[in-house]
Amino acid sequence: MADSGGLRRAIPSSPQARLAARGGLTVTASAVALLLPLLVSTYAMSVAVTVVTYAILGLGLNVVVGYAGLLDLGYAAFFAIGAYTSSMLQVYVHMSFWETLPAAVVAAAVSGCIIGYPTLRLRSDYLAIVTLGFGEIVRITVTNLSVTGGPNGLYGIPPASVFGTAIVSENGLYYLGLFFLLIAVVFTGLLSRSRLGRAWRTLREDETASEAVGVPATKVKLLAYVMGAMVGALAGMFFSAQFGTIDPTTFTFVTSVTILMVVIVGGMGSIPGMILGALIVVGLPEALRPISNYRLLIFALGLIVLMLVRPQGLWPARRSRRGSFTAPPAAREAPESPAAGRPQPGSLLLAVSGLQHSFGGVKAVDDVSFDLHAGEILSIIGPNGAGKTTVFNCITGMVTPQRGTVSMRGKQSLVKMKPHKVVSLGLARTFQGVRLFEGLDVAENCLVGLAAHQGRLLSRHGLLGRTSAQDRREALRWLAFVGLADQAHMLAAELSYGDRRRLEIARSLTSRPLALLLDEPAAGTNPTEKRKLMDLVRQVRDSGVTVLLIEHDMGVVMGLSDRVIVLDQGAVIAEGPPEHVRSDPHVIDAYLGRDEREATETVGEVPRRNS
Amino acid sequence: MSAFLQYVVNGLTSGAFIALVALGYTMIYGVIRLINFAHGDVLMVGSFIGYELVVTLAARHWPVALVVLLALVGGMAFTGGLGMLIERVAYQPLLNSSRLAILISALGVSLALEQGAQLIFGAGFSAFPSVLPSAGFSFAGAHASYVQLGMFVISVLLMGGLYLFVHKTMAGTAMRALAMDKDAARLMGINVQRTILLTFMLGSVLAGASGVMQGMYYTEINFFMGFLIGLRAFTAAVLGGIGNIPGAMVAGLLIGLIGSFSDGYISSEWSDAIIFAVLIAVLVFKPTGLFGERVAERV
Repeated sequence: MADSGGLRRAIPSSPQARLAARGGLTVTASAVALLLPLLVSTYAMSVAVTVVTYAILGLGLNVVVGYAGLLDLGYAAFFAIGAYTSSMLQVYVHMSFWETLPAAVVAAAVSGCIIGYPTLRLRSDYLAIVTLGFGEIVRITVTNLSVTGGPNGLYGIPPASVFGTAIVSENGLYYLGLFFLLIAVVFTGLLSRSRLGRAWRTLREDETASEAVGVPATKVKLLAYVMGAMVGALAGMFFSAQFGTIDPTTFTFVTSVTILMVVIVGGMGSIPGMILGALIVVGLPEALRPISNYRLLIFALGLIVLMLVRPQGLWPARRSRRGSFTAPPAAREAPESPAAGRPQPGSLLLAVSGLQHSFGGVKAVDDVSFDLHAGEILSIIGPNGAGKTTVFNCITGMVTPQRGTVSMRGKQSLVKMKPHKVVSLGLARTFQGVRLFEGLDVAENCLVGLAAHQGRLLSRHGLLGRTSAQDRREALRWLAFVGLADQAHMLAAELSYGDRRRLEIARSLTSRPLALLLDEPAAGTNPTEKRKLMDLVRQVRDSGVTVLLIEHDMGVVMGLSDRVIVLDQGAVIAEGPPEHVRSDPHVIDAYLGRDEREATETVGEVPRRNS
Repeated sequence: MSAFLQYVVNGLTSGAFIALVALGYTMIYGVIRLINFAHGDVLMVGSFIGYELVVTLAARHWPVALVVLLALVGGMAFTGGLGMLIERVAYQPLLNSSRLAILISALGVSLALEQGAQLIFGAGFSAFPSVLPSAGFSFAGAHASYVQLGMFVISVLLMGGLYLFVHKTMAGTAMRALAMDKDAARLMGINVQRTILLTFMLGSVLAGASGVMQGMYYTEINFFMGFLIGLRAFTAAVLGGIGNIPGAMVAGLLIGLIGSFSDGYISSEWSDAIIFAVLIAVLVFKPTGLFGERVAERV
C-alpha cells in the first residue's frame, strides 16, 4: 500500500484498463492489509492500529471538509464523544462494546447538530474558529468533570468481544479496526454518490446558486456535520477498545489538526486518499523513529514541501464520468410537465405589491407592484441601477424586502421564505452573471435542479437516495430541450458562453417551475445566439412555463414580451404592451434623459452588481 | 471590590499582550485570507530571542533599562525577519492554490518552529532572569507594578503606531486596498508581493514584542507557549471581526479581561472553555464579530 502512489502512475488511460488496474490495486491493497500481521512485528501492528484509527477519522472529516467544503478544526470532539460515550456506558452501566454502538453514534450525531446549527450562518473562516472552540470546550469539559474521570480519564474499559472472544491482541484489534474502516469506507462512499453528495458538491462550488436551484442549504450543511460526526464516533469507539483506558490528552486540538492533515495530504474528497493520508501522517513519523530527535521537524518540513509540490494532496478525488448519458432523445420536446397543479393560462400566478427595499440610503426598490399571469412573458426593463435584479432577489427569497408582499397564486406569501422553498413552490431563476457549478459536468448541473423536490432525507426520492435512472432521463430531456444533450458529459466550465446560458436555463427548468425568472439572459451574446435564445424562451413559454424576464436588449424585449414593466430609480414608471411602452414619454426620458446633463449621468453610470 | 480591580489590572495586562498578537492574525488574514497558524510560534521564537539577549547581557551587568530595550528590539527585529522568511518560503508559492493547502503549510511551519525550538532550547521551561523591578503602586486595594504599567503603555503605543501606519501612510493604504480587492489593487500599481511581505513583517514584529514582554512578565517560557497564546489571540481577532484592526485591539483586551475574571472567580481550568463559549455566543448573534469585518465579502 505504501507504494500505491507509484502504482497509480502506472494506471493506463483507457477506461476499461483503468477500471481493471483499479480493481487490481484494490485487491492487492486489501490482500496486503489482511495479511499484514503475518508480515510485520507486533510493534508495527500497534502502529497499524493507529493508522487504521486515523484513516477512519480521515474518512469522517472528509465528509465535512472534502465533500461539503466546510473547514472543521475541532473534529477530535466527535472522536472524543464517541470514545467517552461508549466507555462510560461500558464502565458505569456495564453494557457490552457492541451495545454502546448506537448510543455513541447518536451522541455524536446530536453534537454534530449542536455545533452545526448555530454556525450555519457563518462563513468558512468563522466556522473554523467555532469548530476549534467547540473541540476545546469538549476537551476542557471532559478534563474537568469527575464523571469522565477528569484529567486521568476512564480506566477499566473491558475489551471488545467478538463471538464470545475478547479482543486483546494487536492483531485482533487490527482486524476489528479493519472492520470499522470497511464500514466507514462503504458509508462515506455511498454518501458521495447520493443526491446529498451532489448537494454538498454544489454548496462547495456556489452556495447562492445551489440554494437558487432548490438545494436546502441549511439542512444539507447540517447533515455534513452529522454524517461526519457519526463516522468520528466509530473511530472513538474503536479507540476506547484499544487500551482499556482513555484520557483527554488524546482529543486535543493537535489531534484535530492531525486528522485534517490526513484529509489534505491524502487528497480532499478521495476515499483511497484518506487511507494513504493516514499511512503517511501517522506512519511516517513512526518510520522516522530511528532519528527520534529530528523526526517531527523533518515531518513538518516534509509537510510544507508536500503542499508546495502537490497542493491537491497525494491522491485527489477524480471526477467520475460514470454517468450513463449516452442516448439523447431525438425530439426537442419539453418533458411532460406536472399537469396537476398547473395553473390555468391567464390566471394570477404571482402578485407583487408595494415592494420596497433600500441598501443604506439608496432606495433600490420603491413601491413596486405588478402581477404575473400564467402563460405570459412579462419583461422588466429599466436603466442600470433601476432595481430590476433587486426585485428578482426579493421575489426569490435572496433578499427579504423591507416592505411589501409577494404572493404565489393568491395565497402563499413568499416574503421571508428561504430561496430553496421558493424554488420548490415553482419559481426558478437564473443569474445575471451565469452561475454554474463549474466543477460538475453538464448533466450533474442539471440534476441539481431536481433537488427542489428531493429535500426530504429518507423518502425514496430523498437526499440519501442514489440518482435514479428516472432522474437521469429527466435531466437529459431538459438538456435536449435547450439543445445541450451532446455536451452532457462535459464540465460546465468547458462550455461556450451561449451554452452556459442555456445550461443555466435547463438547470432551472429541471426543477419543473411554474414560472421561470430570467435575469438578462441575452447579455453578452452575439446576434445568432440571441435569436436562438429568443426561440428558446418562446419554447419555454409554449411548454407551459410562465416567463418573467429582465432584459436590456430592446430587440429581445420587444420581440418576446406580452407585457413590459419599466422601472426607473426603483419605481414603476410605465406598464403595458411593448408597442405602448416604447412610445411612452416617461420611458424615453428614463433611457435618453430629459436634457444633456441627465443623459450624461445615465451613460456614465456604473452597472451595479446586486447579486 | 479590590479583588475585582486586581482582576481588571491583570486582565488588561494579558489583554494587551493578546491584542498585539491578534493584530497579526487579523492583518495577515486581511491580505491573504490565511489563518496563520504559525503566528503564535513566531511569538514563541521572539520570546526565546529576548531570553537569550537578557541572559547574555545581564551576565555582563549592563544597565537594566538597556538590557530590556535591546531584548525587546532584538526580539522584534528577529521575528520581523522570520515572518517575511516564512511568507516567502511557505506561503507565497501557494497563494493561488486552494486555501486548505496553504493552511496545512502554515501548520507545517508551526510544527517546524516548535520542533526547532525544542531542539535548540530544550523541552522544559526556561526561566527568564528576573531583571525587572517588582515595585509598584496600590490603589483601591489593587496592586499594579510599574512593569505592568510600562508594558501596557508600550503595547498601546505599538498599537497606536500600527493604526497610524495603516491609515496615514501610502504603504498602509496599499495594505487596506489589498485586503479589499487584490486584483484591483494590483491593477492600480500596488506591488502585491511586497505589501504582503510588509504585512507579515509588521504582524510578526508585534508578535515578537508581545513574546519578549510575556517572557519578562510571566518569567517562564517554553517551546509550546505560542500555541495557547495564539489560540486566544486568534479568538480575539475573530471576536473583533477578522480583518478589523481596531476590533482586534479591543477584543484582545476583552479576552484578557474575560480570562482574568474567569481565572479569579471560577477556575483557570475552565477559562479557555469560557472564552470559546463567549466567542460562539457572540458569533451566533453577530456572525461577523463584535465590530464587523472590514473585509469585503465576495459573492
